[in-house]
Amino acid sequence: MIQVESESVGKDGTKIVYVPKENLLEFMKEKKEEGFDMLLMVTGVDYRDHLEVVYHLLSTSTGNRIVVKTKTEGEVDSVTSLWKGADWHERETWDLVGIKFRGHPNLKRILLAEGWVGHPLRKDYPMDKKQYVNLAEDGEDTVSFDPSEGY
Amino acid sequence: MSDSILMTTLDEAMNWGTGKSLWPFTFGLACCAIEMMSAMGSDYDWARFGSDVFRDSPRHSDLMIVSGTVTKKMAPRIRRLYDQMAFPKFVISMGACASAGGPYVRGYSVVDGVDQVVPVDVYVYGCPPRPEALIQALKQLQDRIVAGKVKH
Repeated sequence: MIQVESESVGKDGTKIVYVPKENLLEFMKEKKEEGFDMLLMVTGVDYRDHLEVVYHLLSTSTGNRIVVKTKTEGEVDSVTSLWKGADWHERETWDLVGIKFRGHPNLKRILLAEGWVGHPLRKDYPMDKKQYVNLAEDGEDTVSFDPSEGY
Repeated sequence: MSDSILMTTLDEAMNWGTGKSLWPFTFGLACCAIEMMSAMGSDYDWARFGSDVFRDSPRHSDLMIVSGTVTKKMAPRIRRLYDQMAFPKFVISMGACASAGGPYVRGYSVVDGVDQVVPVDVYVYGCPPRPEALIQALKQLQDRIVAGKVKH
């Protein structure tokens, strides 16, 4: 049995489990073996003093759901080795919340332009510093703080 | 020369032809595109007004309907597609997002209006506008082209 921090039940009866980030991959492996064969979503939350990664799992045979949460400073293990679908979810979480996933095959931005400074869903993201995107000749995006260099 | 009867008449004929044969460019960016599809569908059927088939290539089209949120990543691509369109070309900015940023106006990733990217001929308000509003915008644009009031 893998060490968990706490367990609770959400309003809709879904089990919510807090797992220490060291045990996350092991815990997820166990859950997958228990029958949670589908990863519904991965997302990140910024609580100012710490970040949290949230995983929603579904068992397609029984219909059971479980929510797994991990407190982190900004780096957790990737679960792409267990569910292929985690790939883009983790890229999005990296893009917007800035959580690094160790062992991810292709961890780069998925929504914002490559070269964007900062992660917009962080609470300390400077909203007044606008960034401007343009397209280089080779088809790559360029990002600049200068309004004359992009849109 | 351009004031002579022949040229004026030819210009008018050209404008009339341009206005009545607008070929829109398939260019859906967000939920406004659903209303645009509805406008071209059988219920509203805007082929009645001579603006018939949506083309898939900027080379084949002369009307760009910017229907939806213009993100900063999309903006340079819109500009590139607009530059690839052949003259004469026209732009309809459809909905609150394309016209002024809409609900995302203070967002980090959205351009505050497509008029910062390409020149716009007609703005349509609404979130999203109904197909009737888009058809009205098309009629307005056609009337202005036929009257020779649109210069590009």
